[in-house]
Amino acid sequence: MQNYKELTIIPDLKINIRKIKEISGNSSDVMINEFITGDIKCALICCEGMLSTATITELILEPIVNIEKQKDSHELFHYIQNFMLMSTDRPVATEYDTLFRLIHSGFAVLVADGMNKALAFGVQGYAVRSISEPSSEGNIMGSHEGFVEVVRTNMSLIRRRIKSPELVMELFTKGDKSRTDLCLCYMKDRVPPELLKKIHDSLDNIKLESILSTGYIRPFVENGNFELFSSTGTTERPDVLCSKLIEGRIGLLIDGVPFSIVIPKLFCESFQTLDDYAFKPYYATFIRWIKYLGFLISILLPAVYTAIVIYHPELLNSTMLMLLVEAEQQAPLSILTESLFVLLMYEIIREAGIRLPKAVGGAVSIVSGLIIGDAAVDSGLISTPLLTITALSVISGFVVPELNDTMVILRIAFLISGGIFGLFGISILACAVLVNICSTEDYGFPYTAPLSPFKTAGMDDTAIRAGFPEMQSRNFTVEEYHE
Amino acid sequence: MDKITKNQFSAMLLITDAFSLFCFRGQISITTLMGFLCGIAIQFIMTLPLIKLYDTGGNIENSGKLIQIIYFIYLLLWGGVLFSMLWQASDVIYIPYENSNGIWGKLLIAGMIAIVCLYASSTGIKAVSRSAVIAVGAGIVSLLVVVISALFNSDWNNIQNTKTTDSFLTEISRGFFISGGLGSFVVFLGFTKGNYMKNTIYYFSGKIILTVAVLLSSILVAGGIMKITEFPVVTAAQLSQPFPVQRIDSLFLIIFAVFSVFSIGVQSLAAAEMLKKIIPKFRYLRTTSVLAVMIGSAFLFSGENKGFIYIVAIGIILFILPCFMLLKRSIAK
Repeated sequence: MQNYKELTIIPDLKINIRKIKEISGNSSDVMINEFITGDIKCALICCEGMLSTATITELILEPIVNIEKQKDSHELFHYIQNFMLMSTDRPVATEYDTLFRLIHSGFAVLVADGMNKALAFGVQGYAVRSISEPSSEGNIMGSHEGFVEVVRTNMSLIRRRIKSPELVMELFTKGDKSRTDLCLCYMKDRVPPELLKKIHDSLDNIKLESILSTGYIRPFVENGNFELFSSTGTTERPDVLCSKLIEGRIGLLIDGVPFSIVIPKLFCESFQTLDDYAFKPYYATFIRWIKYLGFLISILLPAVYTAIVIYHPELLNSTMLMLLVEAEQQAPLSILTESLFVLLMYEIIREAGIRLPKAVGGAVSIVSGLIIGDAAVDSGLISTPLLTITALSVISGFVVPELNDTMVILRIAFLISGGIFGLFGISILACAVLVNICSTEDYGFPYTAPLSPFKTAGMDDTAIRAGFPEMQSRNFTVEEYHE
Repeated sequence: MDKITKNQFSAMLLITDAFSLFCFRGQISITTLMGFLCGIAIQFIMTLPLIKLYDTGGNIENSGKLIQIIYFIYLLLWGGVLFSMLWQASDVIYIPYENSNGIWGKLLIAGMIAIVCLYASSTGIKAVSRSAVIAVGAGIVSLLVVVISALFNSDWNNIQNTKTTDSFLTEISRGFFISGGLGSFVVFLGFTKGNYMKNTIYYFSGKIILTVAVLLSSILVAGGIMKITEFPVVTAAQLSQPFPVQRIDSLFLIIFAVFSVFSIGVQSLAAAEMLKKIIPKFRYLRTTSVLAVMIGSAFLFSGENKGFIYIVAIGIILFILPCFMLLKRSIAK
């Protein structure tokens, strides 16, 4: 069979219907309803479960069957297009490729005998998850709405917050098989034109068969070098995306994914939450520094503990030293092995808790936390200080959930380095990580800005959280950081 | 061409200067400090022809292969000196496996640093300069802790009591020991944004502050035992403890390790940049071979202060060659 993407609709209803059945392989969800209206043979084609029965009955079926006799099919289509407003979204298809894309997107498509085009009506009404609180970005004072899986709903969530004609949303399709709707969002008066052009170029290079999560797209909009930290961000919150758009960034919504990609992303943004802007500046500044500290503790604490206990005990005061010596003497494994064992066990338990059904996942937490942890300490397999240090490190990581994946790897890498080479090893690895972070740059935006390259103005939302009157006068856009 | 800011430029060079100061051997007195400051002033004056050369559009790229080779050899040898300093100073700073394994321990440490330098150099001047700024920032905080705690443990009489047998001129020549990084100054000045003169003044101001802070705190803390101290700056850091029941000298180890990586990294980056100009087709193993030669050349240096040789070498790369290039340009015009 010839590739259907190259075929056009022909002015013969029977052949068109046969072709549609042939292309769809008589798929059970493709419904073809033949009928006569205006004395012309027609067929209304739609996909079961993708449209609203109430809407199609009220807006399409009832008016369409009551059309008076027409001279020919051209007259019929002219009448429908000009005298009947059946839906607000009414594209026209001339190829089978477009026809199938519309059917599979929840449109009802009308084909008529003698017409070489089809009329489509947007009557989408598939089952969707209702808007709910984001699961990965907790918030106290701000909005409790999160993105859902439907791209058009997500577009409306953004539009509700930015009612400006400067906000542009470009909807397009990517993925040869999945035909996933993507939506590029930006403020046309704020976005750097060069950035927009480069993103368009990057998206043009996507030749994937399917796009099922943000991870499919991100490698195409990142620079491709080895980066420990990702130079594009994701958010589940429409309010956060809106704030990024106003700063001149670009958002990319993907149909079927309740997250938006944000380009470019800076390191300091991982420590900013919407609540920071709801609290008093002094408290928000305090919380922000707590997060910076939490990030460092999460990565370095097990490594520094191991390095100090093994190689640099002079750093400890005598009471602490005696306490640790006593605890570690009873543990059968070396401190490095013990630390690695505890960290890896934690990761296994965490992964098990996430993948298992929620009811069982809870049980896993209880068994691992209370039974295994308690038993391991009681039996002397693991020392209490080490378990405390690991728990502190892991909990500290939760203050910056966005960087969790990187933190897990770095925590283990630093632990091995510190366990073998002491503080010297930690310092050497820290240099490599620092260089890697500083080399992360996409589209000319350094990931470490405004710290390095240092921008004094950027410090009012990095080192501190300045008040809104001060920030209002600055009118910040991300272009300030472009190099 | 990748351009760097004056902060990034100064950070890269000050790290090398700080590392050289940490590894400085011999006695320090107030005469040493004055000699060093005078040496810095002389170095600044010596940079004027180079600034003039850059201001008039000249650069090392168009200076001919011979001059490029001289700079390249200088950078390689100074990289070797840095490795040699690292090995010697690590005898008094505890690095696991370094002391106990003799030459293999030293090579292991050098290898680890070389790997990180190799990676750093592969990311380019922008990444290294950006990370140097953060490293300097962290270094300043750590150094402040050491300096402030040094103030609590200081004996101000040491300023008068600590004397060296060396003359003022000898101290100036020793000051050149901490200025070997001026080779990378010559290479990277052309990469800076803005006014070359202002950038140079900015860097030398930082160098003066760094020298005064480190040497003065060393005199104040370790002045009493200066005669029996091999590495006065390291000793001062080990002696200056802010808390009676808590030691913090490992903090110095962290700064030492970080600065050693960046100083050698900057040097290898400059040498690789020069090698790129000399043999553009040699790409893939450029930095690896530069670092290998640097480690090899480290065995040439015993670490004794060869003040006169440093003065001559720095004089050639900082003053004589830029003067020659300026002259050549004038004749060509």
